[in-house]
Amino acid sequence: MKIRLTVNSQVYERDVAENRTLLRFIREDVGLTGTKEGCGAGECGACTVYMNGKTVNSCMVLAVEADGAAIETIEGEAVDGMLSKLQEAFDRNHAVQCGFCTPGMLISAKELIHNHPKPTVEQIKEGLEGNLCRCTGYQQIIEAVLDTTGQLTRKEGLEYAGK
Amino acid sequence: MLHQFSYVAPKSREELLDLLSTDYAHAKILAGGTDLLVNIRNGTVKPGMVIDIKKIKEFSGITYSKGEGLVLRPAVTINDVLRDPTVRDYFPLLQECGHDLASYQIRNRATVIGNVVNASPCSDMAPALLCLDSQVVLASSRGTRTVPLKEFFIGVKKTVLAPDEIVERIIVPTQAKGAIGKYRKLKRINGHDLGIIGVAVAVVNGHVRIAVSSAAPTPVVTEGLPMDIQVDEAVEITMNMISPISDVRCTKEYREFMVNTFVRRLLAEVRG
Repeated sequence: MKIRLTVNSQVYERDVAENRTLLRFIREDVGLTGTKEGCGAGECGACTVYMNGKTVNSCMVLAVEADGAAIETIEGEAVDGMLSKLQEAFDRNHAVQCGFCTPGMLISAKELIHNHPKPTVEQIKEGLEGNLCRCTGYQQIIEAVLDTTGQLTRKEGLEYAGK
Repeated sequence: MLHQFSYVAPKSREELLDLLSTDYAHAKILAGGTDLLVNIRNGTVKPGMVIDIKKIKEFSGITYSKGEGLVLRPAVTINDVLRDPTVRDYFPLLQECGHDLASYQIRNRATVIGNVVNASPCSDMAPALLCLDSQVVLASSRGTRTVPLKEFFIGVKKTVLAPDEIVERIIVPTQAKGAIGKYRKLKRINGHDLGIIGVAVAVVNGHVRIAVSSAAPTPVVTEGLPMDIQVDEAVEITMNMISPISDVRCTKEYREFMVNTFVRRLLAEVRG
């Protein structure tokens, strides 16, 4: 079936199989491999992207369902090679280790901050509950979100040492 | 996904019902897709045709009027319910249950009606909807009929829905003093997890109602019990309506123990 949609504001028109997921479409047809496939069943959130302004697990969306949709992926986050505030905060707070969960984590965090400009730790935990991380233990990720929203008071990270 | 199917997205209710009247045998309805697409991927469901109902305009939106009550349509997602100011003001129990369903991204896609039609014993929306005496409106090209939600479930993943029928609306009647209640779901972790058991206790029209999920082939609910019922009696009535099993998540005995505990705690909370 023919579909037409935008990914990071760029228009794509493609013929896709009905059983192709949005995730496969983004990775293999569009060629943006920042979005990851973890579990393929909506448990891990590594495939999280924005679809019409809402976060979705792209492994559980058919590409044909996204006909006419506006998709945003992690590749749209940095502008002209400059990391976004959120990306910088993840970097500064060591919220990235292996990096596999990070693209999905950032998209979910972006939606969370959009909904709650000054989130509590509880709200952060709820907003990110659909994204699993096996490396960092989440604390650094929570701190990175708090840092982005100007709420991090305890600055103990290595990058902060001596500043 | 290896399994192949055709995809149609009807634009109107009539087109959908027409399609179902002839092609129901191999068709599956796609709303949020959070169960269907996982099942297709696992190979447990192999539809020849997937019918996306989200392009049907009259299938979205939550409406409320005192006379009719709260009307939830097929494309209404869990997060739609959580964001809706009317639900927040008049049906807070629905939001309590919604919060416990899966994860944020899934709540952006998963629909209330999808959760009900799935008829999973561990449905998160069913306990609240059962306590609140919800009605289910079924439609096919043969006409429409209304069934109480309590009679809609008939077994594990089984409902009274005929193959050519869809659930067109769920109607939650207006409660004089608002749908006040509490829901507690026992999970292994605080975040995204299926329930080990779930208990909802609500005050509805001067009576207490108790609903339980994950402890019988279907979610179950008591009749309206007197407000001043003895705790032990309420527990006994609840225990008589459930029939838990031991499975991968826990034993039958643990389920019984925790239903008992949650009923006691929630009753105390709801009655203040």
